[in-house]
Amino acid sequence: MNLEVPSMGDILDVITSRKSIRRYKPDPIPDEILDKILEAARWAPTGENYQPWRLIVIKNPETKKKIGDLAKLGSGSRMTAWYCLGEMQRRFEEIQDPVKRAEVLKFMYSGEVSEFAKQAPVIIAVIGNLMEGSVDVPYDLSACIENILLEAHSLGLGACWVHGPVASTRDAAKFKKILKIPTGMGEYKVIAYIALGWPAEARKHPRPKKLLEEIVYWEEFGRKERS
Amino acid sequence: MDQTEYFNNMLVRLEELLYHELSGCAAWKVELVGIDFIQSKKIEGNSEDEIIKHCIQEIMANKLVTSMTYSIGGKGILLNLNMKGCIHLPKETRLKKDGVTPFICPIANMILDQLIEKLNYETTYLAKLDINEKTGECNVKCAIYETPEKIGLVSDWSKEG
Repeated sequence: MNLEVPSMGDILDVITSRKSIRRYKPDPIPDEILDKILEAARWAPTGENYQPWRLIVIKNPETKKKIGDLAKLGSGSRMTAWYCLGEMQRRFEEIQDPVKRAEVLKFMYSGEVSEFAKQAPVIIAVIGNLMEGSVDVPYDLSACIENILLEAHSLGLGACWVHGPVASTRDAAKFKKILKIPTGMGEYKVIAYIALGWPAEARKHPRPKKLLEEIVYWEEFGRKERS
Repeated sequence: MDQTEYFNNMLVRLEELLYHELSGCAAWKVELVGIDFIQSKKIEGNSEDEIIKHCIQEIMANKLVTSMTYSIGGKGILLNLNMKGCIHLPKETRLKKDGVTPFICPIANMILDQLIEKLNYETTYLAKLDINEKTGECNVKCAIYETPEKIGLVSDWSKEG
């Protein structure tokens, strides 16, 4: 049996240096770069090869503004309530400077944190066709999004996976209306969009990640000894 | 057969499933659960108070809860609902016992829906659902936003009754 595996580059550096980018330069994304990102999306793993993803590429500033406004509304409506319940303050208690903490909290509960889609040169809405018998639509779409993020990062772009604005059922319906997506109960699932652009902030991941020892078990749940 | 028990047990399984599929954000997606009932009633009113009172009347008349009161506070964005004897309490009790914080309140969803449908409220959010299985009471804290400008009007809800 021939077990020869073609030589490929290790993409761990791409994976570990990627972070969510929410600030972009206004420069446009050339079509050939955008096409490569869309091509990466097309090759995501998918249950039984159903490929339920449909991608809507948005460049129109007016549409992006509507999406940004919806995002602000969705995040702000939840975060205002979380702040009023004291939950947001607990989440950001590691920020020692009270002035800085108050600024960050206001940025969150006002919803401004999610408005950045307006500034992104391109938004890609990822939706799933529910009508072709697909069995794993949300998982397939998530894999598709990850491919988009990694390809964008490998090409020097910044991107952010944004779910919040379509997270509530009513907001998802508003999102569908903005993009003229059919709204029948059994037609399309809206899962998220990705904001894309040339980064105006660092792309290297600065946030700590859990150690492998904390998240990996061997052979059975809870077993830490390597097998 | 106890039909209420039958339907509540089905809701438990569905709520468990949703929680496993979506974890925390499952709670953001269930805002339409319960609204068909209230939409089948002719709820009328020109103000927040009128709509809420009319909804409560219908909810109680149909024995979905035995008693219900409300207050509005938190700079006008907190709708605080207190209920006793809710038809869905056994669902919430069972979920809580099994380690899932209940997150679907069809009764609160009905009122929030009518604020949007009848008064064109911009958006609403069911923020907290507390149940007391011993006393049979529930407290639901909802954020109600008449306009986008109401978002960000923060206060301390723990100081509200």
